[in-house]
Amino acid sequence: MTAIATDNRPTQTHAEVTRDVVATLGTQSRGYTLMLFGAVALFLVGALTFVLLLKDGLGLAGYKSPVMWSVYITTFVFWVGIGHAGTLISAILFLFRSPWRTAVYRATEAMTVFAVMTAGLFPIIHIGRQWVFYWLLPYPNQRFLWPNFKSPLLWDVFAIGTYLTVSTTFLVVGLVPDIAAVRDKVTGWRKKVYTLCSLGWTGSDNQWRHYTRGYLYLAALATPLVLSVHSVVSWDFAMSIVPGWHGTIFAPYFVAGAIYSGVGMVFTLLIPLRKVLHLEHMITEYHFDNLAKLTLLTGSILFYAYAMEYFVAWYSGVAAEQTTFYLRAFGPMWWAGWTMIICNAFVSQLFWFKKIRTNIAALFVISIFINIGMWFERYVIIVSSLGNDHLPFAWGQLDPTWADWGILAGSFGWFLMYFLLFARTFPIVAIQEIKEMIPMPRKRAGGHH
Amino acid sequence: MANAMTPGVLGAFVHVDAATDAIRALRANGHTDLTVYNAAPNHEIEEALEHKVSPVRMFTLVGGLTGCAAGFAMTIWMSLDWPLLVGGKPFDSVPPYTVLAFELTILFGALFTVAGMMILSFLKPTTKLMYDEKFTDDQIGIFVPCAPGAAGGVEEVMKRAGSVEVRHAS
Amino acid sequence: MSKETNEEQRPGIDRRQFLTVAGVAGVGTAALSGCSTDRIEKLVPYMVGDEDHVPGVATWYASTCTECPAGCSLHVKTREARAIKLEGNPDSPINGGSLCARGQAGLQGLYNPGRLLGPKRRDADGSYRDITWEEAIAELAAQVGSAGSDVHVLSGAGAGSFTDLLTEWVGALGGSLVRYQPFDNEALRAANQQVFGRGDVPDFAFGKAGFILSFGTDFLETWQGQVENQRGFAESHGYHDGHMAKHVYLGHRMDLTGMNADEWHPTHPGSDAVVALAMANVILSERERAPADAGTLRSVLAAFTPEQASQESGLAPEAIRRIAREFASHKSLAVAGGIGSQHRGAVEACAAVNILNYVSGNVGDTVVFRGGRPAADGYGALESLASELDAGRVAVLIVHDANPVHTVPAATGFADKMAKAGFTVSTASVMDDTASQADLVLPNLHALERWDDLRPAAGVQALMQPVMMPVRDGRATGDVLLEVARTVGGPLSGLDAPSFEAYLKQRWSNIAAARGRTDFRVFWQEALGNGGLFDEAAPGADVRLADGARRIGFQRPTFDGDGEFVFAPYPSSMLYDGRGANKPWLLENPDPVTKITWQSWVELHPDTAASLDVREGEVVRLESPHGSLEAPVYVYQGVHPGVVATPLGLGHTAYGQYAEGRGVNALDLVSGEDGAGFLPYLSARVTLHKTRRYQKLAKTEGNPRQLGRGIAEAMPFAAAVQGQTPAEVHGGHHEVNTEREVEAIAGWGEAQRERLDKGDYQGEHPNWGMVVDLARCTGCSACVTACYAENNIPFVGEQEVVRGREMSWMRIERYFEGGEDGEGFSTRVVPMMCQHCDNAPCEPVCPVFAAYHTPDGLNAQVYNRCVGTRYCGNNCPYKVRYYNWLAYPKLNFEEPLPLQLNPDVTVRARGVMEKCTFCIQRIRGAQHQAAMEDRPLQDGEVTTACAQACPSGAIIFGDQHDPGSRVAQAAEDHRGYHILEDLNVRPSVTYLAKVQHGGEH
Repeated sequence: MTAIATDNRPTQTHAEVTRDVVATLGTQSRGYTLMLFGAVALFLVGALTFVLLLKDGLGLAGYKSPVMWSVYITTFVFWVGIGHAGTLISAILFLFRSPWRTAVYRATEAMTVFAVMTAGLFPIIHIGRQWVFYWLLPYPNQRFLWPNFKSPLLWDVFAIGTYLTVSTTFLVVGLVPDIAAVRDKVTGWRKKVYTLCSLGWTGSDNQWRHYTRGYLYLAALATPLVLSVHSVVSWDFAMSIVPGWHGTIFAPYFVAGAIYSGVGMVFTLLIPLRKVLHLEHMITEYHFDNLAKLTLLTGSILFYAYAMEYFVAWYSGVAAEQTTFYLRAFGPMWWAGWTMIICNAFVSQLFWFKKIRTNIAALFVISIFINIGMWFERYVIIVSSLGNDHLPFAWGQLDPTWADWGILAGSFGWFLMYFLLFARTFPIVAIQEIKEMIPMPRKRAGGHH
Repeated sequence: MANAMTPGVLGAFVHVDAATDAIRALRANGHTDLTVYNAAPNHEIEEALEHKVSPVRMFTLVGGLTGCAAGFAMTIWMSLDWPLLVGGKPFDSVPPYTVLAFELTILFGALFTVAGMMILSFLKPTTKLMYDEKFTDDQIGIFVPCAPGAAGGVEEVMKRAGSVEVRHAS
Repeated sequence: MSKETNEEQRPGIDRRQFLTVAGVAGVGTAALSGCSTDRIEKLVPYMVGDEDHVPGVATWYASTCTECPAGCSLHVKTREARAIKLEGNPDSPINGGSLCARGQAGLQGLYNPGRLLGPKRRDADGSYRDITWEEAIAELAAQVGSAGSDVHVLSGAGAGSFTDLLTEWVGALGGSLVRYQPFDNEALRAANQQVFGRGDVPDFAFGKAGFILSFGTDFLETWQGQVENQRGFAESHGYHDGHMAKHVYLGHRMDLTGMNADEWHPTHPGSDAVVALAMANVILSERERAPADAGTLRSVLAAFTPEQASQESGLAPEAIRRIAREFASHKSLAVAGGIGSQHRGAVEACAAVNILNYVSGNVGDTVVFRGGRPAADGYGALESLASELDAGRVAVLIVHDANPVHTVPAATGFADKMAKAGFTVSTASVMDDTASQADLVLPNLHALERWDDLRPAAGVQALMQPVMMPVRDGRATGDVLLEVARTVGGPLSGLDAPSFEAYLKQRWSNIAAARGRTDFRVFWQEALGNGGLFDEAAPGADVRLADGARRIGFQRPTFDGDGEFVFAPYPSSMLYDGRGANKPWLLENPDPVTKITWQSWVELHPDTAASLDVREGEVVRLESPHGSLEAPVYVYQGVHPGVVATPLGLGHTAYGQYAEGRGVNALDLVSGEDGAGFLPYLSARVTLHKTRRYQKLAKTEGNPRQLGRGIAEAMPFAAAVQGQTPAEVHGGHHEVNTEREVEAIAGWGEAQRERLDKGDYQGEHPNWGMVVDLARCTGCSACVTACYAENNIPFVGEQEVVRGREMSWMRIERYFEGGEDGEGFSTRVVPMMCQHCDNAPCEPVCPVFAAYHTPDGLNAQVYNRCVGTRYCGNNCPYKVRYYNWLAYPKLNFEEPLPLQLNPDVTVRARGVMEKCTFCIQRIRGAQHQAAMEDRPLQDGEVTTACAQACPSGAIIFGDQHDPGSRVAQAAEDHRGYHILEDLNVRPSVTYLAKVQHGGEH
């Protein structure tokens, strides 16, 4: 336990931890109910839009040749990105034994799962014949038609599928001991439910023995996913020959962006949540301060990547590349281009100041900027690059319609709905890991040994 | 926890060093198949129990290797089974397939690991052992299966180590 | 209408018999057989075997195009007794095997949803009710019978048997026949009368000329026979082994013809006569080689100096001299009389150009008078008919094949005058602007449903035959006339032919007799099979100057009003005189110059736009003394700064759902009066008012500049003669790869190929490829319509084009060059279709193998497999993959349009990517044919629809693996290059760089 800096060691006893966390379950607070209501409403908007898309076709959205991917793919990449912060915090920081993750990792892990669940919908929403999406899977059909494994889109299917499975498993495994703890506190039908979910967990030495090992390896397996999944997503673009997409820098650039946006979303979610669930004493400024440092790091990587894109475009001497990047800054979509640069490259630099890193209000505002900025990063990369590629005569500028925004709103609703339901049903703070950090009382005074 | 329970003694501890003392003493007395309950993993208890490293890692390894092999096998076989020329690339072009092999490595590795954890845990079920809900909260439990005759001695050891409560199952 | 009533109305006609007559070996009464919609469904039940219709096999009939007076011959492809495609008849001296976009779109006239289901009678309240043909003919007969000699007929039909019948019919009644066609070359004929003493239109041998000089005459669009001209133009101006004619265009607007000029000089409107005369003066004063009697003109011409001409035209004196000298030093041809430059001085202009041609010795050489070109009675005749109508001296007016309410300026009040006729009859098959004022509408059959013949040019007698059962319950006007004659009797009793078909055959039996052919049936079948008689054109008459030649002169033509701009309406190369406005294929085929579809627009010079502070898409109101119109602005470098131009053809008050209320009619700003026997289109000045309203232009153009990407390559004539490659010409073309890299890439490519010897890919295969010669391509866009017709491409409509969702598998990219800071302005065009790359970027990105490469080198798209991820579309550098966003076929193919669909080609579903297939259905068809005949496929046996249609012969298709094939050899040409070659996608389409005169004099 020496890893924990003494100033931020949890002050509660084991009993208090259990009590406080179990208290968050089944909350009836008005703040929570309002948020849930809003989320469901948004989701219904998206669901209705999707029904109309199925009925009339993608033409309802703003698509226009040559911009054949637009808001939906943008939002897909956005949500996949969000997920990454969760895995980073829960898996990588676990391997690094970095203590400050403990209080927040459950929430971020849940965020990961639901973000990827949301992202997973988009490949289906955006294809022209949604009812045959399963043709992308290598299942043995009547005539043995297999998918094309050379297509980055198929890499996506596997990457996202794997990511969703592994992060879900990781989350559930981490939950089991806590569910058992809850089980032993509650009564009535809820006890029955939690008993079922706890899979017979009793915290026996044998269970712990395999559990701790297994959890370690799960973390080890989840770690490369943080780097691989968004690299694969970035290859959807980098593997093409569209000017503005065709860049080797894309994988690291996207991964950094993913973590940056993910941490941004963590702020956006946790700051209100800890208030509603009264967890201020568990999720403290100390945690946000560290998250902010992570944001600063990834934001600076983005800054570098943006600069590098322009440099490469200029240095390559390829006319099409140069035009594309010129138009990003000064073309018809200049506003989007600058939104992305300011919200990501510049705003993140504010985190050099500890005052800002530890000011909850400031963090929340900035996190909103980060979310907007990162959505626009994908929007700019996708839409502006497609809008003006090799043949000038075929250029075209996108103008999105209600159908684009409807699905975007719906995706937020869908995500928040699940996240909020999770927060009131399962411990949003990892009981057993907090306890692990709190030294147990001893009859003899002084540290052990 | 009424009938058909394994006979034995269950002791509850508040202090971790008390619990470890008890464990060591009991093991010294030949009670090696103790079951120790705790709300969180604890090094001292693990040391006291002198567990060997869990074999779950073997599952992970096997799973990973299976995934990797499956990844390459599936992609190469499928693209040769239905050979179509795209973009002037060879039917079986390995570089793109490494991505899929990698993803399957992770997927299988993770699933095997979880399977391993569960199998190994269920090999030594705790369902018939005496248990108390405080053990997922703030107390450490030690259950010693023993014949009613030996129970007294066990209780004695626990008390001496400093257990706050001792119960008997028979 | 039940089958029984059909039978009883048309005794002796049943389907089987019809199918027989529909065939080449036709006998019977096809023209009499109407058909009601409920019989369409059973056009060809498969149980009915018929020698002419083998299910699944196309039957071809020869016929003649009536979309404009040019009289191109057709080969009509029918499947299961439905006409599905129109192609040129190779035997025709007029159009050879090719056909323009308008001609091909004739099919959408045949299957137009707006076609009337049957005859209609207008009631007192102005509403129309359906009546039977019996009632209709009884009504007409009664009216005619009581009208005596006050029967007037207005007909747009070309010279042919029908017109002869009409003439007899009207003549017998003592009435008057006015034959009116909007673009009738009245001015040119008047000028010919004045200068050469003969009022006919000569043949212009563009193919023989070495120097072509056009005075604002769009001979590649609507003037004379566009296809005929274009073929000649391609022959002389298409670069071939060191030779290429030079084309200079003088006019206030760079139209498609101007775009194809080596030099375009924007001249002041109405100045052409003086420029031509000045050139004639230069030539005559400097050169001896001129017909003897030309000398007598010296004194007259002396008055016209290049300096004076320069003041009038804004064209520099030295330019005038230079062009004159070049003109005289080549076998040359000058043309004038285009509709777009028909001002009040048009006769003088044409006369002046006649003189120019004469003094250069072109008359009898490139300008040949054969007297074969028929003309209508001209605008003057229409005017006198109008005054007759106005005076109420017309009891019965029959309007046939003409739409004067639309094609004559509203200012003439023709509509009101027409209303004064006692009884108005229209034979329009669609309720057009004129028909919707008629008391009785007797829908004529479409040209592909009836019998007739045409005499469009010297030596050409073209036949038309019904190629299928009528789509709607129309009746051939010829038969109606004969039936009326039978009913009325009296003066008409002389016209006793049982049917128009019989009448036609009677006349052809005379022709047979005149040719000493005794076996009429054989003769008839030959003629019908060949599409008519194509004889050697008679030698040209020896033409000398008439006295009128000395009366040539010039005074500045007047323009009505005091607006700051001259208003220049011009005929649309797609819509012609407006008859194209109800055909989606033409509405959606982008205007070759502006690339705008479905709309009307106002062209402004950039400087003008800047000075007025209006931007593209801003709606402006143009006001002339005669009227006003509102349309969005298109800023165009190719229009004279003092001129605003608007295309003709839209703004119909009625003409079916596609045309009605669409766009504006530019004629609303023009006066009809001029007294010189022709309609002065270019005769008004307008003031321009901003509305500050904006309308998105439905144009298919993204960015009109190439940005130095070497897409549409061109080279100076001199460089071409030296055999330079495009890369050599502009050294700016950077090589991205070093020698070793290039070798490495090639070696890698080969290594990959070797690993592909598996499954269907084993062994030898053809490798289909295409060559597009930009020196021949004019950008006329006939190929685009051909592609729509062949491949069942859905049109998407104005709003979707605005969204950039047009489905056209083939587009003509039009790029602007120069035009800034004093630099000369020019344009280039590139036909862009799927390049069927060997290393196609679209293929590997498809997750389900919907896009893949066939063994014979085609980039295939499996519609049924496509899930619509659209990654292929993103990754296609040529942007030739088109996505079906909204089930366009279902939305837009209204009955009976689906009857046109090609059964060999899938109609693509919504949510699926589609693209050019190199007409794979044609390739496979030819391969199967060859296989059945157990022989190898010969080069040229299979070609794509675009290549087949191209009047310039700019597209060559074939097997690149066959070293002897035309395509393989053409691809070796030094002008050959691949677009975006740097991407190493290995396209199968090779472009041959355009060649431009200039510099060398």
